[in-house]
Amino acid sequence: MKIVVTVKLVPDTTAEKRIDPATKRLVRTGVETVLNPFDEYAIEAALQLKDKLGAGATVTIVTLAPESGKEIVRKALAMGADDAVLVSDAQAEGTDVWGTAYALAHAIENHGFDLVICGTQSTDATTGEVPGALAEYLGVPGITYARKLEVEGTTVKAERETDNGYARVSAELPLLVSVTKSIAEPRYPSLKGIMGAKKKTIAVQSLAEAGVDAPVGTQGARTELLTTVVPPARGKGEIFEAADAVAGAQKILEFLRERKLV
Amino acid sequence: MRSPAPRKSSNSFVRESSFNVKNVIVFIEHTGGQPRRVSLEIASKAKEIAAALGGSVHAVVLGKGAGGAAEQLKAYPVDAIHVSEDPDIDAFLVDPAVDYLEAAAKAVGPSLVLVPFTMIGRDLGSRLAARLGAGQTADVTDVTVEGGRVACASPKLGGTIVTTCAFQGDYGIAAIRPNSFKATPAAGAGAVATLEKPAGKTYRIKVEEEIVEAAGELGVEEASTVVSGGRGVNGPEPFKTILKDLADALGGSVGASRAAVDAGWISHSHQVGQTGKTISPNLYIAVGISGAIQHKVGMRTASTIVAINKDATVPIGEFADLLVVGDLFEIVPELTKQIRANAAVHA
Repeated sequence: MKIVVTVKLVPDTTAEKRIDPATKRLVRTGVETVLNPFDEYAIEAALQLKDKLGAGATVTIVTLAPESGKEIVRKALAMGADDAVLVSDAQAEGTDVWGTAYALAHAIENHGFDLVICGTQSTDATTGEVPGALAEYLGVPGITYARKLEVEGTTVKAERETDNGYARVSAELPLLVSVTKSIAEPRYPSLKGIMGAKKKTIAVQSLAEAGVDAPVGTQGARTELLTTVVPPARGKGEIFEAADAVAGAQKILEFLRERKLV
Repeated sequence: MRSPAPRKSSNSFVRESSFNVKNVIVFIEHTGGQPRRVSLEIASKAKEIAAALGGSVHAVVLGKGAGGAAEQLKAYPVDAIHVSEDPDIDAFLVDPAVDYLEAAAKAVGPSLVLVPFTMIGRDLGSRLAARLGAGQTADVTDVTVEGGRVACASPKLGGTIVTTCAFQGDYGIAAIRPNSFKATPAAGAGAVATLEKPAGKTYRIKVEEEIVEAAGELGVEEASTVVSGGRGVNGPEPFKTILKDLADALGGSVGASRAAVDAGWISHSHQVGQTGKTISPNLYIAVGISGAIQHKVGMRTASTIVAINKDATVPIGEFADLLVVGDLFEIVPELTKQIRANAAVHA
């Protein structure tokens, strides 16, 4: 069974962010870049399936990123994925949800797949809209927000988180699933894994090599970025040392009344 | 083992030079016939946008109870309400709803489609956008119209930047963050029509069973007040007792930090922060939460932040409007008591 995991490289949450005034986009060079934390759950879910299914199951990482992201992708290989496809192209710069999903769909289709696993969203753009769009472009059913995943033959059974509980759903392969953090705690790469990853293949492809037949960067984007602004930081408020519970509660109640919140 | 993926017709790749729409379509999410508040917020905002564009507002309500939800929707400024109670919509995940929404969008013609930025809204919006080859903006906290141009503002990177985007093409999909707009009842034509079942469709994800664990509770992303607990609450119990009581007294919902969720004290659907939900409530009360960056990115856009912590030097003190330093196990129940007493006096 061919399992594909999509990953995104994102700026570290704690890194200092800067906007390029010319492109109005985030400056990504010189900013510490990491695997999107949500995608680590997707990798773990794929590796657990591979562990269960045994020989014949492969896990391939697919990403759209600059070639400089190669060593970050290698972390996924160190965790245990078999190989990776890195679609890297200057023409992909400025891509939006539509372009990203469209390009990934072609790269995945080129590679072949039975099951695609995605993280719920990225920590930078936080749209959470790539998995759904990707399922549409691949022409397969998409189960989002899975917290439990089982494959029996060609049937996938999942528990899908809902706003007030969960649903048990089932579908046939080929299929796309996006997983939440409840699926499993991502493993740390072992020393053996890290050493082994050095020998694994990361195929770098241009958009054309990945089979993408339409412009997907700024040129093809269906949205146009007008402005990027840095909102004013939240200022430091009042710190009140409560002598006892009554004084602490009174302070909060007064504060809420001033702001007409009670 | 798989048939080739359907390709969009080649004309969907021709890039339009503009986005000239007049009408606004709103997807109304509801729970068994009760429209979610975010749906009413969006319907109210849609009227304002449509008025600026010179068009009308079309609402789409799907699934069991849609007729009832449509009746309630009549109190809001929508011009037409498209309804279907086709049992397939609830029996299968997402695909039937996308088909209905796509049919409605095509019937209305080029338009701005507003969906809530919720689990369901994101799913539907992303698929609809792919079908229509449309641009999409997510986690939108403001929509403006200037000179016929629609612009959507969305906080990115945990709210450290705000981007504003316009659309290209015939359709644009915007997923709106709950609590971004006010739900304002107003008269509308509200004509209800039943959507025809899209022909020749097969649905592939069967919903075997729905398990409701928190009936009647508003999700943290939709609640106007959220009372969250972190590592400092020391166990699962306070989430069901003192935090729940305070949330109830304020008409809010209970949230949690990653530490509390990872410890298994409360389910992931309550988690606020980087690997949980990003929310903008009116009031956020952080109880026993230090306020690390991973938590801050999920709640920094709350209008008011109050923290209760035993430590005066926690990071949350740097951005909370008020940090009360003391024993949360004593202050929280006392606060609930005082809020209830205050409400009784002012009732």
